[in-house]
Amino acid sequence: MNTIKFFLSLSMTIVMLLLMDPRSFYGLGFHEWAGLIIGIAFILHKILNWTWIKKVTIGFFGRCKPRARINYVLDVLLLAGIVLMILSGIAIARTIDFSWLNLGGSRMFWRIMHTSSSFITLALFGIHLGLHWKWVLMRLRIKKVTYGEED
Amino acid sequence: MVKKISFSILALAILAAGIYAFTRTNYWERSIRIFSYDRNAAFNGREGRGQGEPEGRRMPGERREFNRPDFSQLPDSVRARFDPGRGRSGPDSGNIPDSLRQLQADRNRQESGRPPFEGGFRDGGGRGRGEFPGGSDINLRNVKWFLAVFAMFTVMAIYLDKAISLIRRKNKTAAGPGNS
Repeated sequence: MNTIKFFLSLSMTIVMLLLMDPRSFYGLGFHEWAGLIIGIAFILHKILNWTWIKKVTIGFFGRCKPRARINYVLDVLLLAGIVLMILSGIAIARTIDFSWLNLGGSRMFWRIMHTSSSFITLALFGIHLGLHWKWVLMRLRIKKVTYGEED
Repeated sequence: MVKKISFSILALAILAAGIYAFTRTNYWERSIRIFSYDRNAAFNGREGRGQGEPEGRRMPGERREFNRPDFSQLPDSVRARFDPGRGRSGPDSGNIPDSLRQLQADRNRQESGRPPFEGGFRDGGGRGRGEFPGGSDINLRNVKWFLAVFAMFTVMAIYLDKAISLIRRKNKTAAGPGNS
């Protein structure tokens, strides 16, 4: 399970970096499709960590480690960032037709929203990785596995 | 010890690269742009270029008044440039029929030796305004800057996490096992 989580996280990081510049990797077509796929990958990432999410949600105001609380708040912000990023991406999509969704708002607004949310989300991604660095080292067998450190 | 020093140097290099990339990509400005988005201003769009006005957005505190110079005080050579019929800025150019305008354009092109416009338009197989070039080329030039910023945030979080853990551990030790 941890191996799947690790490779999913790694591929999400690589794709996220490639998505930061729409011109970088096979143009706008790749940008839009990969943007949608990263949304699915994010949901999958949350499903794989559902036990932790449930545990912290229940004990957020009670018996919960401060570190887990910080991670939880960061994850909520990341979720909001990803949602805004995908929603604004859908609103300004060119190669995939999402006009039937009728999201409204001006194109300029969604464009700025897309840039801002993606920039903030990338920064949050970096912080998220930094806070889970021990877990990454454990998966790479650089650090010995000690249970409970992931929280 | 050598390992620790080499990791510290690596972290410093990542931080330096990250800070450089952060400023280069205008990361902060682009991140907070949504919070300073003015809905009403967006509807006004880009300010059009009136006669004698420079094109572009109006910046705060910028002086935008432009006084057309008095023609009578201009030298003949400069005044001749504003004479009617010279180029598209001439006052009569709006009254020229399309057939004559086409002839004039062809003649100008022949004189200048420039090839006709081959850029194409949207929905005509070409690239429209605001569209990105697609195709099969991979250009990771900008991605490396985002990677640098991403790595900077990661390194900052790792060391901040370490520092907080160290402080908490020290506080626990200072309080003593019997005092807690």
